[in-house]
Amino acid sequence: MCRIGFRCIKMALRELSSLERFLGLKKPNKYSTQGGKKVPVLQNNNGPALIGLVTIASHLVHEAKRPELLGNSAEQRAIVQQWLEHRVTRLDNCSKEEVKVILKELNQYLEDKVYLAGNVFTLADILMYYGIHHIVVELAVQEKELYLNVTRWFDHIQHYPGIRNHLPPVVVLRNRVYPSSHH
Amino acid sequence: MTKENVQGAGEEEQQAQSKKALKKQQKEAEKAAKKAEKQAKLATEQQEADEDDFAKDRYGICPMVQSQQKLDRALVRVQDLTPEKAEQQIWVRARIHTSRAKGKQCFLVLRHQQSTVQALIAVGDRASKQMVKFAANLTKESIIDVEAVVKKVEQKIESCSQQDVELHVERIFVISQSEARLPLQLEDAVRPEGEGDEEGRATVNQDTRLDNRVIDLRTTTSQAIFRLQSGVCQLFRDTLINKGFVEIQTPKIISAASEGGANVFTVSYFKTSAYLAQSPQLYKQMCICADFDKVFCVGPVFRAEDSNTHRHLTEFVGLDIEMAFNYHYHEVIDSITDTMVQIFKGLRDRFQTEIQTVNKQYPSEPFKFLEPTLRLEYKEGVAMLRAAGVEMGDEEDLSTPNEKLLGRLVKEKYDTDFYVLDKYPLAVRPFYTMPDPNNPKYSNSYDMFMRGEEILSGAQRVHDAQLLTERAMHHGIDLEKIKAYIDSFRYGAPPHAGGGIGLERVTMLYLGLHNVRQTSMFPRDPKRLTP
Repeated sequence: MCRIGFRCIKMALRELSSLERFLGLKKPNKYSTQGGKKVPVLQNNNGPALIGLVTIASHLVHEAKRPELLGNSAEQRAIVQQWLEHRVTRLDNCSKEEVKVILKELNQYLEDKVYLAGNVFTLADILMYYGIHHIVVELAVQEKELYLNVTRWFDHIQHYPGIRNHLPPVVVLRNRVYPSSHH
Repeated sequence: MTKENVQGAGEEEQQAQSKKALKKQQKEAEKAAKKAEKQAKLATEQQEADEDDFAKDRYGICPMVQSQQKLDRALVRVQDLTPEKAEQQIWVRARIHTSRAKGKQCFLVLRHQQSTVQALIAVGDRASKQMVKFAANLTKESIIDVEAVVKKVEQKIESCSQQDVELHVERIFVISQSEARLPLQLEDAVRPEGEGDEEGRATVNQDTRLDNRVIDLRTTTSQAIFRLQSGVCQLFRDTLINKGFVEIQTPKIISAASEGGANVFTVSYFKTSAYLAQSPQLYKQMCICADFDKVFCVGPVFRAEDSNTHRHLTEFVGLDIEMAFNYHYHEVIDSITDTMVQIFKGLRDRFQTEIQTVNKQYPSEPFKFLEPTLRLEYKEGVAMLRAAGVEMGDEEDLSTPNEKLLGRLVKEKYDTDFYVLDKYPLAVRPFYTMPDPNNPKYSNSYDMFMRGEEILSGAQRVHDAQLLTERAMHHGIDLEKIKAYIDSFRYGAPPHAGGGIGLERVTMLYLGLHNVRQTSMFPRDPKRLTP
């Protein structure tokens, strides 16, 4: 239990520092954690502390003056929020059985979309990529072909300039190796 | 309650009881009367039946064939029933595959091995009502002799193999009756898995098939599989004989475990014990040292491996090759791969009927191979796997999942289901494998794969007694136990190499099947010793 928690803290803090770098924020922030689940906290000089990965990440986006990363319309903003929620409530710390369900649902969702919010790259793509990386890196070639849309989206995001940073690249083959009847 | 009341109650009870008894008697009498009536009716019906049966001597159950007589009667095979025989009156012996009665007609489907034909018995001037009823009541799988006229049909009978004719039955006799309750239904046994699920119809699971193998082997699919397997054996022999090989027989009861101590069956041998041979390895090599140059053998191989997988059997048929070469072991690889290619071609050209029959129940991609056979070095295989994201060491053996993935990558890149992986790391091969002359970490050994699964493991053998001793010591093998083996190389031994394939596995992979028990007639595994 403790070990998993520790990995999560490290990952969360590394995510935030990667995000800072992508956003071009010059001065790196200092984060602390709170509670049993070790949620990241940003102590702000100007007001109350910001608690939680999503809250802090959204704040950083505003700080970097890149509000389009949170969505351009009311609908897009809602979708981005939905996926950010999904990341911390369902994806993080999910069980082995849930992984298959999550991948299947995401695969279906991405069938007709380039990015999570449709045609624009948003913070949802960044945080979902960071959150799902440890799952995708373990998938066998056959599984990556089974969740074809997830793999396509993942490969696209991991090659997006300035995103990958602290994470190792996942190999994605150019051609299908398993015939589709295999599934 | 007064005594009188009690008495009164008793009398009433008695009266009630006698009423009950009376009613019971009445009912029984009625029942008996009905029964007698019924019996009388049946008796008259039977009399009527016997009286009106003008076809009495054109059907029936034959007495058991005990070779009572020599009948000079030609029986035509179902597969030979074609429009050329139209209007001919012939005799056929076949099994009842299905039967369907409809009023004054009875349709039978007769089956022999892979062929089926429709037969019709209709009430008319040749067949009586009783004869049609007799035919309709025959049990499935019974063997019958039928005299019939072959008739051409206008509309093709899609459900039979003989689609252009049907038999109009004149006489029908039972040669061997089947019990009514079959342990499995043949239609279920040939039904494809998916179709079974979709239409909610039954398919037969593997254990039931194997427990009732005699019936399961009657299915068209099984007939096709084992006919093709017979072809593999025949093509193996023919190809090697044409290349100048000699067929040898090697002993299966041996004094020492050849491959490694753990996976060997022990048998009691008079006052001591012996082992069942895990491979003909030692004897093949001794034949080479005895100047036979090129040998092969076909025989059982026994592996006491407690592996319950889709591709392991405890007893299987090994097709083994050993060959002396001039200067390089690739001469042997080329000979083996050419033999395999001749087998694939022979199957493709002469066994299409069988391949199609099997594909009906078990669809698969046709088997693809290149000429000359594709040969990759182990290092290349590792590089391809790494490029696909697999992490493995240079000298690491290939795990089964990695073998399968490599098979898919090779198929995608080279479009072949058959290839050779050459120069395996020395560390993962048996002690008698010749090391690579240029790189001590590798060896002159190779594996061959079909559809991503290993079918042959082979190598150049160490033919020098001293080097062999060193390698055995390096592997921690007791030299005393292999003294006779090492001695065979002391009196001049030619450089040689070879390999062996499993008949069942090759048949399974050629046809694209998924369990080696489907291609073993009476399979043996850790959990199965019968039939």
